[in-house]
Amino acid sequence: MRAVALLALLPVAGLALAPGRSAPPAPSPFDAQVAPFLKAHCLGCHTKGSASAGLELDSFLKSDSLARDPESWKQFVHKIRTGQMPPREMPRPDAVQIKSVTGWLAGELARQEREIKPQAGRATARRLNRAEYNNTVKDLLGVDLRPADDFPQDDSGYGFDNIGDALSVSPPLLEKYLTAAEKVSRAAIFGPERVPQRLTELRSPRKDALPLTQVPTQYDEDGLTLPQAFHTTYRFPVGGKYLLSAVLSGLRPEGCEPMQLALWLDGKKVQQIRYQPGGVTSFPGGPMEVYGQKAAFARQTVSAGDHWLAVTVEKIYEGMPVKFGGPNPSKIVVPEPPPFVFPPLPADATPEQIARRKEFEKNLPELRKKQQQGLMGGVKIGTVEVGGPYEQPSGPLPAARARLFVGEGAHAILGNFARRAFRRTLTPSELAPYLALFSESRKAGDSFDESICGSVQAILVSPNFLFRIERKHDDFELATRLSYFLWSTMPDETLLKLAETGKLREPEILRAQLERMRKDPRSGALAANFAGQWLELRKLESLQRDLEKFPAFDEYLRMSMRHETELFFNEIIQSDRSILDFLDGEFTFVNEKLAKHYGLDSLNIHGPKFQKISLAGTNRCGVLTQGSILAVTSYSTRTSPVVRGKWILDNLLNAPPPPPPPGIPALDETKVPDGASLRQQLEEHRKKPLCASCHARLDPLGFGLENFDALGRWRTVDGKTPVEASGTLPGGKNFVGPRQLAGILKQDKAAFTRALTTKLLTYALGRGLEKYDRPTVEKIAQTVEKENYRFSVLVREIALSLPFQQTQKAMTKK
Amino acid sequence: MNLIQRRSLSRRTMLHGLGVALGLPVLDAMTPAFAERGPAGKAPVRLAFVYVPNGIIMPAFTPKAEGLDYELTRVLKPLEALRKDFFVLSGLRDQNGEAGPDGAGDHARAGASYLTGVRPKKTAGADIHGGISADQVAAQFLGQRTRLASLELSCDDSRVVGNCDSGYSCAYSNAISWRSPSTPMPPEVNPRLVFERLFGSIDPSLTPEQRKHRLVKRRSILDLVHADTKKLAQSLGAADRRKIDEYLTAVREIEKRIALAESEATPTLPQFEKPAGVPVAFADYAKLMYDLQVLAFQTDSTRISTLMMGREGSNRVYPEVGVPEAHHSITHHRNQAEWIEKVTRINVHHAELFGYFLAKLKATPDGDGSLLDHSMVVYGSGLSDGNQHEHSDLPILVAGRGDGSLKPGSHLRFASGTPLTNLYLTLLDRAGVRPESIGDSTGKVQHLSGV
Repeated sequence: MRAVALLALLPVAGLALAPGRSAPPAPSPFDAQVAPFLKAHCLGCHTKGSASAGLELDSFLKSDSLARDPESWKQFVHKIRTGQMPPREMPRPDAVQIKSVTGWLAGELARQEREIKPQAGRATARRLNRAEYNNTVKDLLGVDLRPADDFPQDDSGYGFDNIGDALSVSPPLLEKYLTAAEKVSRAAIFGPERVPQRLTELRSPRKDALPLTQVPTQYDEDGLTLPQAFHTTYRFPVGGKYLLSAVLSGLRPEGCEPMQLALWLDGKKVQQIRYQPGGVTSFPGGPMEVYGQKAAFARQTVSAGDHWLAVTVEKIYEGMPVKFGGPNPSKIVVPEPPPFVFPPLPADATPEQIARRKEFEKNLPELRKKQQQGLMGGVKIGTVEVGGPYEQPSGPLPAARARLFVGEGAHAILGNFARRAFRRTLTPSELAPYLALFSESRKAGDSFDESICGSVQAILVSPNFLFRIERKHDDFELATRLSYFLWSTMPDETLLKLAETGKLREPEILRAQLERMRKDPRSGALAANFAGQWLELRKLESLQRDLEKFPAFDEYLRMSMRHETELFFNEIIQSDRSILDFLDGEFTFVNEKLAKHYGLDSLNIHGPKFQKISLAGTNRCGVLTQGSILAVTSYSTRTSPVVRGKWILDNLLNAPPPPPPPGIPALDETKVPDGASLRQQLEEHRKKPLCASCHARLDPLGFGLENFDALGRWRTVDGKTPVEASGTLPGGKNFVGPRQLAGILKQDKAAFTRALTTKLLTYALGRGLEKYDRPTVEKIAQTVEKENYRFSVLVREIALSLPFQQTQKAMTKK
Repeated sequence: MNLIQRRSLSRRTMLHGLGVALGLPVLDAMTPAFAERGPAGKAPVRLAFVYVPNGIIMPAFTPKAEGLDYELTRVLKPLEALRKDFFVLSGLRDQNGEAGPDGAGDHARAGASYLTGVRPKKTAGADIHGGISADQVAAQFLGQRTRLASLELSCDDSRVVGNCDSGYSCAYSNAISWRSPSTPMPPEVNPRLVFERLFGSIDPSLTPEQRKHRLVKRRSILDLVHADTKKLAQSLGAADRRKIDEYLTAVREIEKRIALAESEATPTLPQFEKPAGVPVAFADYAKLMYDLQVLAFQTDSTRISTLMMGREGSNRVYPEVGVPEAHHSITHHRNQAEWIEKVTRINVHHAELFGYFLAKLKATPDGDGSLLDHSMVVYGSGLSDGNQHEHSDLPILVAGRGDGSLKPGSHLRFASGTPLTNLYLTLLDRAGVRPESIGDSTGKVQHLSGV
């Protein structure tokens, strides 16, 4: 705020120096050119009383407005330059005049910009968010219980949930901290808590398979990608043995061989069983109902935590009765059912009844045939039951204890633990209360371990652990910044040691550490937490699709989509690729499910394992064409060019469109009546000058992706309307289809580089960026540009930047 | 924003600034005295607020006639058996949800102002600012005698962060309950965690002695943390200190709760199986959350609760009632009959589920009557017509008898534009809280004890 005030004073100060000169000052270019231009071309609509788009330009007629509100001025220049304003229907200003006015303004704004001095700024004490808490506790104690999954959702600011100002503490959260501290410390010292055995039914909503009319010659014999399979992610509360059973549903022809069921854990086939469902047929020769029949697998050892659990029917089209014509038909002979005899019609049957009966008799063979066809692949895994845990391991975990019990005696153990938990060395007086708590507990008759446990809990609910508070601006705080930036967890021993010896800031050492951290698998946290929010990937978790319209949507697809984008992001980190690959990288990662989903069958990718593939010659490139992004930017029943356009502006260009002006309801695409294509509707809408200024940018970007449906599949028609994926951006750039759109985005490398820099810097600092950060962003972006846009350069320059290296001294209260 | 500045204000002015002002007599009386109000053993009054997002199709909601003999509309039909137990209230308005200079974002505003009567500050950043919600005003006073001051629930387990509606932070639509203008109370969405919040997560297989031991331990841990935090706060600058103070407030609150728990006999666990997680079907989910709310009242774990069927602007799909389209999207129906029908179906479905809740409250004995007799349950939305974003003539029901202070059964129409907060003011007054005002309230409403 102070910087703004100072700048506002500058022109005045300049005037104050002027009286020494005698000649009357020539009118400034602002008064001579800019103000008259505004009056002639803008004020007609944007003035008091008739402020279109809520914008009054009256206060911009004086030159001091340049210093007061450069942000607005930048927008005006942009709109005038790109021809968005004045709107098309209004008289156009002379081109030379536009050039002269915007040229002078841009120069003036740039000059002003150069004068902004970067500052370190200050991030408010940051409470660990849920992801950080989980990771930190895991690294600290060696137990992976993910207690923070039970915490309330973290509030976010500036698009991220690690912003100190936005993260608050409510009493229920503190209660959860206490519970979590109890749980993890007991698990680390005495072994995991005994979990009562229970039976849980898992469901996974999806659409039934469509009936087949003939057995496919080629299909997924493992069955993972078929709609009959069951997929879910389940959290096993503790390690141990679990009894998993598949509950069937659907119909099955009589005379089939036993089915072969497979159990998959995290994409690996761990068990196969043969299962012959019993079941009854409702009439001779009719289908057997297998609803609710349960096939149990042998007890399976599973580790604690989230696992992808799947059950499939293997070779689903084999072992069927011969008449179905499938491969390896059944050898079981079923006697031909006696021909169906209709009960005689009652004597007083009406002519209508007789006619209906005749019709039915005539259609019967056809009906039966249809019914049989529906039976091919008619069995599915309806639900899965998890029983357990059996043979729960009990007793302490040696690895976890080794991490905690370092040295001899409470002083050493707690001193060591607190140093790691607080991410710095403690003074003896800081440690004293925790030792006192230990002694008290011993005196009260608790065991040594029990007493250590109490003090560990106290450390875990201390604000020194729960908050990242920066007071000393020393190497410890830098180590903490680095590790939460790149790993979303506490600094490891290497970082702590370097901080202890005061070497972390040495340029060579810091650079080497940054490289080490980038290559460490823990940097995957950037994909989960940074990309998860930057690209809005987290929305995928609660994505809903209308299953009538999108029967292909199931859990396996959801998981695969998320995994693709995470792998893509990780590849950019690990292989240190160009950040421009986000826009048009010609590679991605797919498993069989996604390859089929994307229509890339020719690649012959089989199984659940992801493979890196080249996208050269396809319609896809970069993140924009990944299923995850295309799905989170769609409605449950249809795509949305407006949402997709906004996604590009928000996330790739960091140029969010302003919200619609007051009194104008937001455009709702779902209002489009049947018959009119969405494009026509939006074009109609864009004719209104008020809407045009934003939608002329939003809509064409989104239309460039119209070839992808709400699940990210390629299409050339939408319902009955052919897809028209062309657009013209304000300023006249034309393009057709996603590839050309990506090309256009890539032409403005500078905009994307600055957008990503801004986002990643915000995430790294845990605070919103201020005006004084602009030179920092600019400097980082320029270095990134000079060094081939490599991801490591972006990370390095952020870590070396002024606001990351330093922090403004807090103003202490008296 | 500055704490020093705040301190120089009188307590009364400060409370005004926060959107709520309390009459001094009540402040003086504060709580212990209040808790002894009424004859011993008398059942306490409970307050519940149920929120449905995106408005309601009003012609299918509002009865034509006023008074006792109105004809039930399609949305109210599922509540037929309970018609003597609730009011239908028309004419109430939430003017702070309406668009002002802050422009678009009616959904975020509707949710954030519904219980606060305060216009939320338009921001997607860290500086969120709203008001104190009616339930939290009540919780400050009625919440002191129960293990939990209040309970916040939501049947919306979808994750959203950042900017949710035209430049409004998601915090505004995620919670309708606000403890302070900058502290929303994030609702619990997982039934298992609601259960743990109500009855503790301490292993039920522990003996009473072991439980006691853990409680004692927790208290000594908190004592330590309390002292440590205070010391830490001394050394911090204003912004950091604000965060740590917030933490300290939470520590104090939990200390009080633990003291309360220690003074109680061993808590009896109810005959209610601990839920495993979020049920797949929405109806099961909503019913389970209602069950837990009944359980909370029944065990007197809390007397104040809020439950959101969904966050404002929710895009849940309801294929089970024939609506595969996203809820918010189709509320902008442009008067197409087919879509109005679909929205109505969602409205009816929500009313059915609400009927389940009321019936259960009614069937649960409590003191000299049923839980419903001793409750005040407000059901409604911060929007009436979701298509046009109308914030006046809101769809509101009030159920229960508030321990004899309400005489429900009629359709009342208040003067058009009566602030919704006037209703809260009246209800809280009858519950013994007696705030002077809530948000934009201008007075009390009449006729709730009979025309």
